[in-house]
Amino acid sequence: MNRNRLHHNQKNKSSNVRACPDCDLLQSIPLLLPNEFAYCLRCNATLLKNQKNSLNRSLSFAVTGLILFFIANLFPLITLKALSLTQNGTVLSTAWVLFEMDRPLLSLVMLFTTFIFPALTLLGTVYVLLQIKTNRINDYTAPLFRFLHHTHIWGMLEILMLAILVTVVKLGDLAEVIFGVSLYAFCLLILAMTLLDYYLNPHDIWNSIRQYNRESK
Amino acid sequence: MKTARESKLISCHLCHTLSRLPQDTGYTVTKGDKKIKCSCCQSILHSRYPDSISRTWALLIAAFILYIPANTLPIMSVNYWGEIQSDTILSGVMHLLHEGMWPLALLIFIASIFIPIFKLATLFLLLISIQLKLVYRPKDRTTLYRITEFIGRWSMVDVFVIALLVALVQFGSTASIRPELGALSFASVVILTMFAAHTFDPRLIWDVINTNEK
Repeated sequence: MNRNRLHHNQKNKSSNVRACPDCDLLQSIPLLLPNEFAYCLRCNATLLKNQKNSLNRSLSFAVTGLILFFIANLFPLITLKALSLTQNGTVLSTAWVLFEMDRPLLSLVMLFTTFIFPALTLLGTVYVLLQIKTNRINDYTAPLFRFLHHTHIWGMLEILMLAILVTVVKLGDLAEVIFGVSLYAFCLLILAMTLLDYYLNPHDIWNSIRQYNRESK
Repeated sequence: MKTARESKLISCHLCHTLSRLPQDTGYTVTKGDKKIKCSCCQSILHSRYPDSISRTWALLIAAFILYIPANTLPIMSVNYWGEIQSDTILSGVMHLLHEGMWPLALLIFIASIFIPIFKLATLFLLLISIQLKLVYRPKDRTTLYRITEFIGRWSMVDVFVIALLVALVQFGSTASIRPELGALSFASVVILTMFAAHTFDPRLIWDVINTNEK
């Protein structure tokens, strides 16, 4: 690996200069081989990653995620059965019940972190990646991708997943818990979104946008 | 080696494009009255986050204050055959322990008690270490910051569990669960500390460290 990197270095004199986002140290990054990551020399932050076929992979996981997100919200996630009564639970019904119980703020927190932000992340990512793939970047691509970057940490589906597990175990003794179709879709959705995060390379996207900016001037 | 600021450059916090830092300015980057924007992504550029320390302090103190009602007020009340029982975060964990569900108790303990305290303490110490201009183990302090930023959101687990329990256990007068004010206070603590971690600028840890030393 090391020898390969040296070889690369000599071949590509024009390397990429970057400042570390965590400690501001300027350093030049050699051209990375596929699946290589560049770390800061001083504080060990990840500076750059290079993944093979990142655009296609992230696009496919984003589309998969979008479909699964739709299914996950269509049917109940879990159904509770006790005393011949049943109660369905979906992501949206959870937010709605909180609203009905005069807890509007808590309901809004639920609605945004488990529905609106994840939905925007998936829709926006598919849109931006398709624009790049089909060479149709426009003036709104950069603000949209910026928005996606800022709202990313507020989508908390994987935390909801853990919460569902805890709830199921807690209620297991008291009532019969039935897993819905949506729960399986939901599990796969978490997997798709994790892989999307892993394969999405913001650096490549900004590079495409930079190129568009240059061409349109 | 030099930092971007020493070389009169600014790195965009979002797309990492390097731009020239106009002369005679410190932290705020303005050209005349106008704020300078990144040529690539149009973000407003700043060499360090504006007022990072005071903003983080404000959010952190707000979180500290809300942490008190979050732990003393009940987070939910369970109505079982007309008998109403209220639980705080700590009593909820104790209940789980008494029922023998210790893995669950451990999980809730870590997410709802350990992580918030860890986060508040870490940010508090980091802020003080920057204000005292300490040069002590900057790499470890940066790692500590990264951990804080990463684990913070997982505290929301308890809030989500309450929301799910409330939505599922609605059997009229036999059994129902209501969310109480403690849950909202706790959610606010988590959200405020997430914002605090976000406004904190780890580059301030490194500003007092001479780049030529290493």
